[in-house]
Amino acid sequence: MKKTKIAAVMLASLMSLSAMAGCNKTPAATTTTGAGGETTAATDAPKQIKEFSAFFAVPAPSEINKDNEIQKIIAEKIGAKCNETWLTGQKEAEAVGVFIASGEYPDFINGGNAMTSLYEAGALVAWDDYIDKYPNIKEFFSDYEWSQFRQSDGKIYWMNPFENIYGDDKTTVQNGEAFWIQARVLEWAQYPKIETLDEYFDVLEKYNAANPTTHDGKKNIPYTMLCEGWRYFCIENAPQFLDGYPNDGSVIVDVNTKKIVDYNTIPTAKRYFKKLNEEYAKGVIDTQAFTQTYEEYISKLSTGVVLGMCDQWWDFSQINDIFKTQGTEQYGYNYIPLGLTIDKGIENQWYTSGGTLNVSSGIAITKSCKDIDGAFKFIDDLLSQEIHDLRFWGVKDVDYKVDDNGLFYRTEDMRKQVADPTYKAKHICNYSYFPQWSGTSRDGKNAMMPTEQPSEFKQSLPEPVKKVFEAYKVDTYVQLLGSVNKAGVWYPMYSYSNNMKTDTKGGTAWNKMGECKHKWLPKVVMSKNFDKTWDEYMKAYAACKPEDFLAEMQVELDKRIAAYEAASKK
Amino acid sequence: MATNSVNIEELKPHKKVKFWAEAKRQPFLLISSALLLLYGIIFYYLPVVGWLTAFQDYKPAKGLLDQQWVGFDKFVKLFENETFFLAFRNTLCMGVINLVFHFITAIGFALLLNEVRIFIVKKFVQTISYMPHFLSWIIVTAIVRDVLSADGIVNEFLMKICGNPQAIDFFAEKAYFWWIVAFTNVWKETGWNAIIYLAAITAIDPCLYEAADMDGASRFQKMRYITLPSLRPTIMILLLINIGNVLNAGFELQYILGNDVISDVSKILDVFILDWGISQFDFSLGTAAGIFKSVIALILVCTGNFIAKKTGDERLF
Repeated sequence: MKKTKIAAVMLASLMSLSAMAGCNKTPAATTTTGAGGETTAATDAPKQIKEFSAFFAVPAPSEINKDNEIQKIIAEKIGAKCNETWLTGQKEAEAVGVFIASGEYPDFINGGNAMTSLYEAGALVAWDDYIDKYPNIKEFFSDYEWSQFRQSDGKIYWMNPFENIYGDDKTTVQNGEAFWIQARVLEWAQYPKIETLDEYFDVLEKYNAANPTTHDGKKNIPYTMLCEGWRYFCIENAPQFLDGYPNDGSVIVDVNTKKIVDYNTIPTAKRYFKKLNEEYAKGVIDTQAFTQTYEEYISKLSTGVVLGMCDQWWDFSQINDIFKTQGTEQYGYNYIPLGLTIDKGIENQWYTSGGTLNVSSGIAITKSCKDIDGAFKFIDDLLSQEIHDLRFWGVKDVDYKVDDNGLFYRTEDMRKQVADPTYKAKHICNYSYFPQWSGTSRDGKNAMMPTEQPSEFKQSLPEPVKKVFEAYKVDTYVQLLGSVNKAGVWYPMYSYSNNMKTDTKGGTAWNKMGECKHKWLPKVVMSKNFDKTWDEYMKAYAACKPEDFLAEMQVELDKRIAAYEAASKK
Repeated sequence: MATNSVNIEELKPHKKVKFWAEAKRQPFLLISSALLLLYGIIFYYLPVVGWLTAFQDYKPAKGLLDQQWVGFDKFVKLFENETFFLAFRNTLCMGVINLVFHFITAIGFALLLNEVRIFIVKKFVQTISYMPHFLSWIIVTAIVRDVLSADGIVNEFLMKICGNPQAIDFFAEKAYFWWIVAFTNVWKETGWNAIIYLAAITAIDPCLYEAADMDGASRFQKMRYITLPSLRPTIMILLLINIGNVLNAGFELQYILGNDVISDVSKILDVFILDWGISQFDFSLGTAAGIFKSVIALILVCTGNFIAKKTGDERLF
């Protein structure tokens, strides 16, 4: 105990030191572009550039170099830059806990599921007085959307940066969850219609029997599952989708009765795990599925040996770049999403169009920030079209070209270049956890994101994936899923459960349920006697008192419906 | 102590004056002991004030005394949690296994190393054996994971030399985990732990060995009847100190090498505190668990000390 205490204190002081170091740079820079500044501008006097610091409680999506080129260009244009730090090693709650304990914060923070703790600790600046001053920020959400961010004191403290669509929806990629299958499997099976879980595993087995290895002779793994830590959604939440519900994440909402349903105990859950159990017994499922770490999982996928898995695109999409740089995408290792259901004839909602508003987390400005207006201006500037293009398209004529109609496009060399991790770190600066648009650019022609530019999207696809699209007569990944959107006004419910802590009965139950599922799901899948193990699991699950959790979710659901009705009456 | 002061009083009638005169003569001794006292108070007793949080519903933004008091609620919550007892059992078992292995290997290694005649070889072996101690646990977990992985050296050996049909997934079998932890501890710490015994061995009077030689004792007999008994006080003291550490059975190894399949045996108290305390911002629960650990450690040390006292061995207090 003593050792860990000392280590914790040392860690805390180290973190607060680095946080202070981050903050100290800020106040030195103030906007002093008065008349004097303009007259001396010709003498190449270096422009004052504000430096902000930011912490995001997620592992770095891609770290950028210190002297990143686009970061510098943006800094020169808007007079500010931000040094981003990410989660390394710890869990988000630990990292945020250390910040709270020290009372020193970076200028910007996204605490993930620990946002309410930051709010309760009084660490955040209220946005209400600022939103109207910054048009690009105000534009990001409708009044009703903004109101959903209000905390218990009625104020807004953060905005979610993701999945917001400007103008026409141009979504091409299924960013969320699906059962994925390699293009080579579909090609071999001559592009069959795969609608159910049974058909899916059937194809995987048959393909593997006929082609047991990859192009370089490695043995295929027909199906793997990631179960490590919070990423175990890859195994546990499929039942909601298989029954045709959208990703409310922690529960199902019955659209007719407006009641919360627990997807862990529905018949479909039992059928899904029974299927996994059978496939495990047949040797179709990776024997290391339950012990592998995320890194092992990703490196497994990037060798191309895994034929299929259930996951969310953002969780593994980096492997597409690896296939591109390794030159292995020609073998059809890229993954194609399938909108499976448990039986035929159920409408699926794997993809919900129109963006998803997750109000539980987002980017916030902290009390430690010395230049609050500057920080808001920074977010505002990042959302302006010019800077947004720089962030996601890059530099004109270097990373993309513009044709006579004003449409952006990339040459093959440019595409290869922007997929290269070394080039990315040196050149590209997404500010990837700051607010960003998808959908159509303000010029009305282009897409906000290169991945959503129709021409660009098609061009950048590997040949085998193109063939899949042709065979199924679709233009995008999301069309492959054939999802309908019937998500209610309460969607997504996970934005509430994500923030639940053990200080309530429901939160305690939620944590226990998670622990129970972590422990039992591997047993259920590996069991030699499925029905018996399933009954034991259900008994252990009932002992966690899931009803406490469901009751709290029901209260939140009712609240959301009432809030929406009140807003629509106005 | 008491008898001393009585003696002084008997000899010198002006006790008060004498005390200050005495103090004046040894300012350095007084200052250094005062510093030590201060150190103890600041670093060992003041932090105990933090134990108050175990009886509160602690919220980080507020001061220690502005919190809401909840009595023993957090302890009740702790003891109602089945995972807590599971973690407690695992910690205790791994702690005891580690303790036993620690002593057997360190003493055995020191005894054997002491018998090495060639000085260079002795130093060489000793240096190599304590090097792993300086590796951080994170590095060690990576090494262990690698060595025991499906295509790691152990599985390669078992498959190619011993003819195992397929690789053993060492981290999917509950039966292996405690022994993996114990073995890793042995690998990392044996050389380091042996140093203190080697030092103690050098303090043994050489006359004893010479006398034994005269009586025709073999090397093994000298080890058994001279070296080992001479080490007994050192062993007892170290044992008593380490008994208090049984519940600190490590953290990184279990945290990183554990997984869902073997969580029944791999989850230990410190990981529990992380999951249910820190990760849930329930610092009070974490403190309660910490107090529980301290109390158990205190009981263990006192019991050990009591037994040592009864058997007439060296003891702490």
